[in-house]
Amino acid sequence: MGPRKLFIAAVAVTAIAFGTWLSFKLASPPPVPQVATVFPVAGEVPEFSLLDHNGDPVGRDVFQGHWNLVFFGFTNCPDICPLTLQVLSSAKNELAADGFTPLPRIVLVSVDPERDTPENLAQYVAYFGDDNVGITGDLTELLKLTKGLGIYFEKTAGDAENYSVAHSAVVLVINPDGQLKALFGTPHEAGNFVHDLPIIMSQQ
Amino acid sequence: MKRIIPVLILALLGCACSQESAPLVASDVVVSKPMPGTSMAAGYLTLSNNASQPIIITHVASPQFESVEMHESVIEDGMARMYPLGELMVLAKSSVVFQPGGKHLMLLRPVGEFDTVSLDFYAGKAVVLTVNVVLSD
Repeated sequence: MGPRKLFIAAVAVTAIAFGTWLSFKLASPPPVPQVATVFPVAGEVPEFSLLDHNGDPVGRDVFQGHWNLVFFGFTNCPDICPLTLQVLSSAKNELAADGFTPLPRIVLVSVDPERDTPENLAQYVAYFGDDNVGITGDLTELLKLTKGLGIYFEKTAGDAENYSVAHSAVVLVINPDGQLKALFGTPHEAGNFVHDLPIIMSQQ
Repeated sequence: MKRIIPVLILALLGCACSQESAPLVASDVVVSKPMPGTSMAAGYLTLSNNASQPIIITHVASPQFESVEMHESVIEDGMARMYPLGELMVLAKSSVVFQPGGKHLMLLRPVGEFDTVSLDFYAGKAVVLTVNVVLSD
């Protein structure tokens, strides 16, 4: 076989290989989230003025520059809140073990601003990871944030010191532009976050 | 002395058999250390009633905490809620499971430093079960 025929054969083999790869690529649908609801158009986060766990004033720009997993709970919640934060922490650890970057931050917004101070939030959120964020502050400002995101909470029976707070149990995904991108409903399982987050975060 | 020895033997036998023959038995007991930044901890366990009659737990107490409450967490319409359990009935020959996301003990305001927690389960004024457990992380 002469050099010309050899060249034509090589081109033909390459073309066939590329065509085969392309057909497989086009035939297999892109991965989709198995649990999360992803919003086709990311939603705006309302303006608010609260405090982070360091006591510094924060507004909606606190979410910018990071992917954020936002949960609304409170530190005197013995069961659902630590359980959810532990799930998020485990998911982050699994993503880190897979070499996934950037890792999202866990943000706990307190729905119990009467009892949750920046000081105790700082200790609490640090228990679930290094770069976690706690947010608390004035109730009126908190309501601006929660109502704007469709989050509901209410104090339930008890006395002035010993009461509980019922609250939305969803985990919101806020993108680095500070926009609401997706939502995870209950029940929360680490595997769902590990599967869905890379897909959601690739759609920015 | 001759009278004392049989009494001691009976007492020792009683101790050895008490767990198996006890009407109410606890297993898989876990009490977490109070979370940083909080003054409360959660407790989980399985209560099994070996008796042929139901047992009603009216309240729980611990020398290591100012208060112990029985609660149940539920997710209703996307809302996380926690209901106090006024009394808890463990049916005859049945078990009740306290587990994350469901029934749990809420232990409030620890008293001093400790590694082991003692839990007293009451039926009215009577303690029907005492459980000792080392705090877990």
